[in-house]
Amino acid sequence: MSTAETPTGTLDALPNLLEETLQSLNIPTGQIRFAVQSDINASGSYGEEWFVLTEAAIFTVTGEGEVLHYIPYESVLGIRAEVVVDAGLLVLETEEGTVDLIQYSNGCAAKFGFVARFIGDEVEFRNDKRDEAPIWDYKPEDHSCKSCGLLLPDEFSPCPACTKKHKVMLRILSYIKPYRGRAILFTLFIIAGTLILLVPPYFSRILIDDILRLNELADAAPEASETRLGALFRGIQPVAIALSVAVGTLLSIQLIQTIFSVIQGRLAAWLTFRIAANIRAHVYKHLHNLSIRFFDKRTTGTVISHITEDSERLQDFMLEGLSFLAVQIFLFFGIGGMLFWMNWKLACLILIPIPILVFGAGWFWKKVRSLWHRAWRRRSKLFDVVNDSVSGIRVVRAFGQQRGEVSRFGAANTDARDYETHAELIWATYYPPLMFAIQLGTLIIWYAGGLDVLAGAMSLGTLIAFHGYLGMFYQPLRYVSPLINWASRSMTAAERLFEVIDSQPEQLDDGNLKAMPNISGEVKFHNMTFGYDSHKPVLRDINLHVQPGEMIGLVGHSGAGKSTLINLICRFYTPDSGQLEIDGEDIKQIDLNDLRQQIGVVLQDPYLFSGTIAENIAYAHPDASMEDIITAAKAANAHEFIVKFPDGYDTEVGERGGSLSGGERQRISIARAILHNPRILILDEATSSVDVETEKKIQQAIDRLVQNRTTFAIAHRLSTLRNADRLFVLEKGKGVECGSHEELMAQEGIYYKLVETQREAANVRAAAQAVER
Amino acid sequence: MQNENGAKQDIATTDGTTKPDAFEIDDFTPRYLEAAELTFTRSEVGTARLEIRNEACHLRVVARRLTPLSHPEAYISLAADEDTEIGILVNPSELAPESLKILREELDKRYFTPTIQKIYSVKEHFGIHEWEVETARGRVTFSVRGLNQNIKQVPPARLFVTDVRGNRYDIPDYRELDAQSYQQIQRHL
Repeated sequence: MSTAETPTGTLDALPNLLEETLQSLNIPTGQIRFAVQSDINASGSYGEEWFVLTEAAIFTVTGEGEVLHYIPYESVLGIRAEVVVDAGLLVLETEEGTVDLIQYSNGCAAKFGFVARFIGDEVEFRNDKRDEAPIWDYKPEDHSCKSCGLLLPDEFSPCPACTKKHKVMLRILSYIKPYRGRAILFTLFIIAGTLILLVPPYFSRILIDDILRLNELADAAPEASETRLGALFRGIQPVAIALSVAVGTLLSIQLIQTIFSVIQGRLAAWLTFRIAANIRAHVYKHLHNLSIRFFDKRTTGTVISHITEDSERLQDFMLEGLSFLAVQIFLFFGIGGMLFWMNWKLACLILIPIPILVFGAGWFWKKVRSLWHRAWRRRSKLFDVVNDSVSGIRVVRAFGQQRGEVSRFGAANTDARDYETHAELIWATYYPPLMFAIQLGTLIIWYAGGLDVLAGAMSLGTLIAFHGYLGMFYQPLRYVSPLINWASRSMTAAERLFEVIDSQPEQLDDGNLKAMPNISGEVKFHNMTFGYDSHKPVLRDINLHVQPGEMIGLVGHSGAGKSTLINLICRFYTPDSGQLEIDGEDIKQIDLNDLRQQIGVVLQDPYLFSGTIAENIAYAHPDASMEDIITAAKAANAHEFIVKFPDGYDTEVGERGGSLSGGERQRISIARAILHNPRILILDEATSSVDVETEKKIQQAIDRLVQNRTTFAIAHRLSTLRNADRLFVLEKGKGVECGSHEELMAQEGIYYKLVETQREAANVRAAAQAVER
Repeated sequence: MQNENGAKQDIATTDGTTKPDAFEIDDFTPRYLEAAELTFTRSEVGTARLEIRNEACHLRVVARRLTPLSHPEAYISLAADEDTEIGILVNPSELAPESLKILREELDKRYFTPTIQKIYSVKEHFGIHEWEVETARGRVTFSVRGLNQNIKQVPPARLFVTDVRGNRYDIPDYRELDAQSYQQIQRHL
């Protein structure tokens, strides 16, 4: 048997029980080439089942050692990993028929996908349909964290479990470092501001005990005052002066406090926006170094919200939340201490409502939050309905569905109303009782403290001061739950930002990168295989050698892998196996900046950035002279229409070039590519979706552009590939034909069929047009 | 129905002279299969074999649900291989019991999505939610990242949970779960 290279390691270690089974079947363990475990058993439940390949056979065994399938390897004609709904199925084509071999969950899809590819290649090699034996290059897709073993969401992200919240906080603080001085100042002002807040109630005590009620007291001597400061004020005569001194002191304290909060607020604003801007800049810069795969796994919306919403959320918290939190914490402990110092017995009493307050408020905020969140979801759904029907207003009218749309809105509207009402009802019902619980503490103090005052154990001023502090003391408790929630949401936002920063960049400069400022444009694929998910190859065993300056037309049905091939040349992705070389150098080793400097693309729907036409043409070389820009526009047949615009080359193209027609945008993008002067040029359906006259102009421009450049062109209309030196035909991810138009027509293969089909269609169109005339 | 089948056969017999557009029109007419005409059996290698009376025998038939969410037990598309549809069976329950059993097994193999019957616990660790649940396919634990993106609600109360490995789990109606399971869901939604 023509076994290729025997894989060295098994994928999964076979348990002893199964080894015994194999021995009972007279299969020595040494003959096992590899074994793979599935997490689903034959009856479709979670369990254990094994796929085993020996030198002579493929078989499957249950976890208990019962053999389910036994198929001689020689009778295998093909194998594929079929994707079913939320699971996978390994299907074997044998001489006896098709066998559904083993089922597995998506967690095992990668290894079974690899097994299918390997065995499939080996079978083809055995049947002389393939030149080289497959290479065992299985790399387990281990996306779990190295330190804690948690599965990561994708290969780029840092482990969410290992990036602890306090570490996130520390990282945010590390952005403060450059502004250390002001940050320390800010902290000092917060502490000082809090300390000052403690003074007014204390002064109210002196105001009452030592000034206002002085003539009512039995013992008005300064020595009889409860406080030293009080004694001092009792010493001032007449009382009116003492009063004005006390009020004046209060006034200056208020003034100082106002000044402090102005400085504190200004410092917070200065610091926060700088820190947030720095984090944003860091994230944005990193975003542009990330692999395209990172963007594949996320929607544009998610990525944009990383930059805008998450940083905004973080910024808001730092600006208001952080200082609020700091002040509240200082207040809580500062006032707590003050209260105990003034009268520890009373202070113990005020602790009574605290459990109610903390748990009650905790429960209340959680409830209200989830209700508001739900109400908010309904609201956004309502907006979706509006958005949907207004954007599609023409379709709604054309199908006469106004009434249906109105009732759809009505249903969503009622839904939103009900949820919002419910949320507000809960708020309205439970918020006042919560406030009542807070008042409870105050009432206790009035009563207990009042008794003390009546008994002469405590002065009236102390009781009043106590009350002043009490209000401040309960305030932080009231907000403890929403604050914690706010903080944790901001930390999550920060985490998401750091996730972008921590994701691996597209290319790591390990010092071995090759600088290639002047490539000649030779491109070589050797047995190259690639899939967006490595277990589902989109391109298989591509072999193609392109000489510098050659133009290759890529031909094939949609989904054959043409665009994927182009993505690989641009190195948006790297091959899973085999090589892709440019000028004989592995593409992975070429400095990306050098490579991309010399690759130009013209896409079907060209993306123009907001800015002028001139800026768009000079996108890759912002320092290009006006003469260069005009030369490029001229060569691209764009000059002729640009001149006619009132603003000429200074015409703003607007978002996505909305003010220009498709053909115009296409010609600007060709001018952009001409000015870029790439060694390797990629044309992806550059002439589709324009009228015949424009197509001729664009074709002309392209003909000028492709000269002396290695060009890869995809075109739906095969006639536009007539200038190609060679055509490379892809079929289901494989390169099936390659040669000039004449050679391929003579072969009468896939290309021939495609040309014939298009010719027929063209004839039908021509006939139809003739009839119309 | 009979007429349609007959029409198809006419075209096949006069293959040499049929016009291409006649084929096209026929290709776009859905073919509804009569349950009484169909017999499913297990082949020797374990695949589902479909025999259509007086017409054909397909060795490995692929069954797909056309409405897996709204009517999972109706509108079954039967295909001879991955691409070639034989026809649509509207109401499989009209099949003979043995045939129905085989069809159900095939559907069960293709539609793996486990149904969650009981939720033992949902624990959060750093944004990853560890679910421990009882499904129709046995007890299983899985991890879900970012509940908002990975729980899809199909109105009114159906939930699809997607774990980090890309497996989906189905909760047909979360209001019908037992109290403890419902509480777990409520706490995290």
